[in-house]
Amino acid sequence: MIELLKLCGFSEQEIESELPRVGKAFNKLGITVEDIERGKQRLTKYYDVELKGVRKALRLIVRELVDALLVRDEGMKKVIYGFMAPGFDLLSSALVTKSRDVCSIHHSWAFQIVVGCIFGKIEPILEEAERKWLKAGMVAHCANLKTLVGPIVLGLYPKPDLLVTTGFLCETSPKTVDLFHELYDIPVWYVDACQDRTCGEYPEPSNRVASSTAKSLERLAERIQEVVGFEITNDMLLEVQDAKGKLNEAFGRIRGLVESSTPLPLSPAHENIWMCLNVLALSIDGITEATEAVDTLYEELQERVAKGLGVVEKEAPRVLATLPMGQTDPRLEYLACEVGIAIVATDRNLEVSIKETSEDPYMKFGIGMQLGAMHMPPAMRIPLLIEGCKKLNIDGVLDRFHVGCRAVAGDALLIENAINKELGIPVLLLEWENFDPRVYKHEEYKRRLEIFKTMMIVNRQS
Amino acid sequence: MQEERLAIHLRERPSQLKEAKNKGVKIIGYFPGNYVPEELIYASGAVPLCLINGGDSQPAEAALSVVPQVICPFARAQIGERLLKENPYYSMIDMLVAPITCQHLKKVAEVWEYNGDLEIFKLGIPHQHNNDFELEYFTDRLRVLKDRLQVFTGNKITDEKITQAIGLYNKMRELLKNISSLRCTSPSLLSGLDFVKLNHASLNADPAFMVDFLDSVYHELKDKQQVTKTDAPRILLIGPNIGYGDYKILELVKAAGGDIVIEEICEGIRYYWNKIKSKDDLFKSLAKGYLVDRVPCAFMRYSTRKRFDFTLKLVKDFGVSGVIWYELLCCETYDSESYFFSQEMGDRNIPMLILESDYSTVDTGQLKTRIEAFIEILRGVME
Repeated sequence: MIELLKLCGFSEQEIESELPRVGKAFNKLGITVEDIERGKQRLTKYYDVELKGVRKALRLIVRELVDALLVRDEGMKKVIYGFMAPGFDLLSSALVTKSRDVCSIHHSWAFQIVVGCIFGKIEPILEEAERKWLKAGMVAHCANLKTLVGPIVLGLYPKPDLLVTTGFLCETSPKTVDLFHELYDIPVWYVDACQDRTCGEYPEPSNRVASSTAKSLERLAERIQEVVGFEITNDMLLEVQDAKGKLNEAFGRIRGLVESSTPLPLSPAHENIWMCLNVLALSIDGITEATEAVDTLYEELQERVAKGLGVVEKEAPRVLATLPMGQTDPRLEYLACEVGIAIVATDRNLEVSIKETSEDPYMKFGIGMQLGAMHMPPAMRIPLLIEGCKKLNIDGVLDRFHVGCRAVAGDALLIENAINKELGIPVLLLEWENFDPRVYKHEEYKRRLEIFKTMMIVNRQS
Repeated sequence: MQEERLAIHLRERPSQLKEAKNKGVKIIGYFPGNYVPEELIYASGAVPLCLINGGDSQPAEAALSVVPQVICPFARAQIGERLLKENPYYSMIDMLVAPITCQHLKKVAEVWEYNGDLEIFKLGIPHQHNNDFELEYFTDRLRVLKDRLQVFTGNKITDEKITQAIGLYNKMRELLKNISSLRCTSPSLLSGLDFVKLNHASLNADPAFMVDFLDSVYHELKDKQQVTKTDAPRILLIGPNIGYGDYKILELVKAAGGDIVIEEICEGIRYYWNKIKSKDDLFKSLAKGYLVDRVPCAFMRYSTRKRFDFTLKLVKDFGVSGVIWYELLCCETYDSESYFFSQEMGDRNIPMLILESDYSTVDTGQLKTRIEAFIEILRGVME
């Protein structure tokens, strides 16, 4: 355990004080000695834990999970849980900055990284959800949701005082939350926005949609205030947004370095760590720590780049992947590196840049929510992808579609057709589940990635 | 006689519409789910045409060149129908009003928007209406739709025209409700299959014709009405969708000796339970009638309990002895809800059979066996 915590960036002093808590939390998860060994092996295989920045990031993630698992045992007064809830992280950070009596859990990101990516033990959690209302099979329920249902049903995560979700991208999370309310008597809340932007409005964000998003998020803040008993002011939120802005800038520097360096200095398997770190329910101090972790990593990567070191060969084909990396399983990204493919970017990070935003924190969020490719209809998303491919000098697109998410999976074939037609570069279409390691088929994926690589090389030469 | 009258009208409807189109009348398509106020389209002088074809595997499969299989077969069928160009309704529309309801139907609108060959109006449907601004949002969108329709058709939409349209469609709802309610006491006057077909017809037929026709049907059935007892188990059909042509389940139930006496279906049939209450602000009235005053579909927030309570009332009012839950493959919200409904129905000793379909024909034998076995169970319970 101590070695594992060291790999996750815990200092010796911190290990001494935190070991009982971590042990208790891991016991709750059913983590055995064998699991710890496997965890260490997976950490060193899939992640660059020799990089201090990576370790610092992992530490924050492990710490968040431990806190969440022990929240009731440690007498925390109120637990607010937000799932698939962009915007909730903003309120969460304000909450935990203000009060130590409130535990705010955002999503299952930390759970997914630790239980899934590090220990490789997410399957029983998914299966538990499948025994409830998210059955396995052709219906293709999103496994992300299963990581909400499994831990609560198994009593790993505490029954929250308020369970929050949003309908920005889909209605399946709200439906699951609705069932939690009906079957487990958990108080729930929904933040919504109509997804009725038209391509005529592109690239400008719709003021109509931003405004309704802002109002809906504001109502959530009012509801949370009732639960926790103190006010969430605009100043508190602006302070969080400011801190998060700095974190985002730090991520931007890493992204810029990764996108522009050859050979690729860092495996794309780390992408899920950044995504997680970006939305953890961290206090302002926690966000500052996260920013420091990313800045540290940036310096370390700069050194790598200066020495010409990387995780794939220098001339490896450059790939843009749709969707973030596997959230519970880093094997596909690791395999891509092994095969010699450089996944330099994902469409999660493709955004429209706009000059003006708002002084109101809710409105600011409402505008920001519309800028990313994944929140756009194909008539907006596809041009952004094509533009991204051109800008990044991409050789091929890994068009994996997360079957559990109809909003993004529905575009996969349109993307393939458009990229082929507009850019003439190879597209690997991969049916995929972003949160379920059971879909991973090593031999098949290896064969397909190798062919994909050959196609890109041939295409580049021609 | 009545059936023949309707059949002739529906057969001639495409050519009637083409003729109207040639004279400059706009044909406005919309997706089902009962969130698009046909009244507004009608008041603009255009013809509202519901796109509801389903049940046939060919269009659903044709769409697989554009969207993956995780998009539900009904949504895929809409894409496929337009690709195949065999159904005149899908080719003749000048504009689509797409209610942004579930991700599946939303994706159809997005695909058509991406293709860029049709004027599209995305009608944002707030998925909850607990907050004042959500109803306001929908009301505003209806006003924008009105403006768009005026420009598109070149006709002014007056309050008077909207009021008339509301009256016409309310009459249609009232007649459908009256006809449906006859099934509370008189089995076999109208099977579930017949009622669904009647309901489907109301979405494509000329509304004035349909009101007249439904009125005749209602009076004819009312005269025949008698309280009788049969041994056919009375069944409530629940589901996300029944497309025009998706009659396999209804036919199998009928053939197995079951009697579907009431349907709680979100899309594909007209919601007739409530009327639009037209008050001073007609847009607010429409918004409230379409969004608030109705039993919410599964994609709506807080809908599970509301729909369950409503279906329990249907079970009681229609003397139902069993529930058939018919969902389309990959419909996640209904699939999730089926877990809750089956538990709650089980607690009340109401047998429930869950069926799903992707419109393929290969499962017919299996469905037949399961439906027959279910009806036998219901008969056993009745004894």
